[in-house]
Amino acid sequence: MLSFRLFFIGLLISAVIGAGAYVMKLQRDNVILKENAVKLEGAISEQKQVIENQKKDFAEILEANKKINELVNNLKKDLDDLDKRFSKKDRDIGKLAIERTGAIERVINKGSDNATRCIEIASGSPLTEEEKNATKKSEINPECPSIANPSYIPY
Amino acid sequence: MLILAIFLTNCSGVKQLSIFKEEVKRQELNLEKPTPLQLEQIKWIIITSENAAEVFKKMEEQGLDPVLFGLTDNDYQLIAKNFAQIRNQLKITNDILDKYKEYYEPKEEVKE
Repeated sequence: MLSFRLFFIGLLISAVIGAGAYVMKLQRDNVILKENAVKLEGAISEQKQVIENQKKDFAEILEANKKINELVNNLKKDLDDLDKRFSKKDRDIGKLAIERTGAIERVINKGSDNATRCIEIASGSPLTEEEKNATKKSEINPECPSIANPSYIPY
Repeated sequence: MLILAIFLTNCSGVKQLSIFKEEVKRQELNLEKPTPLQLEQIKWIIITSENAAEVFKKMEEQGLDPVLFGLTDNDYQLIAKNFAQIRNQLKITNDILDKYKEYYEPKEEVKE
């Protein structure tokens, strides 16, 4: 009978200690879970920031593509204009050069100087104030107005 | 029983979440842009069957060798167009390079 009581008391004590240990473990788990929740909230906030940055990057990429496409189109127009100048109204530059040698020589040398300046600008040479502020046909570099004269609007 | 209770309660615990973050900024390339070109100006001389003698005479008077490297009027147009295409390509390549630099190596205040 005594041994049965002792066994029962031992069982009871074990159960109480076990329950206590389990509660303490739950408390520890709870602390960890709270920390995890804080970390996850932080991670979500960081992810939102990453998404925002990605949106900004996409906008930048679109803008850069737009700018480059505009540049390509403008340069193509400059090239078409050059072609038109040579062949405008069935113009034959060879015949013109025979008829008005001196005048065409001056025109060609002026055009060559302008084209040379265009290459300098294309290679990164900064624009002069005159080039920046040119708005009239008489002021622009007709070989490459799209890159040499940003203020010029064709009319 | 006690040992069993302790054993069971410590085996299946909640694991602490670890988030590793390591952001090491890549070194900027910082290559200097090439110096813009400063080209020499060239002088075109138009020579026809009528003015050829006069042109060569002038050249001799100016102390130049009386020799010209010629192009037909058609080839002159072609060389003008070729140079325009080279110029366009140079401009586009330069601008693309600038855009890459702006995108991948922005100034700090812009990126922040």
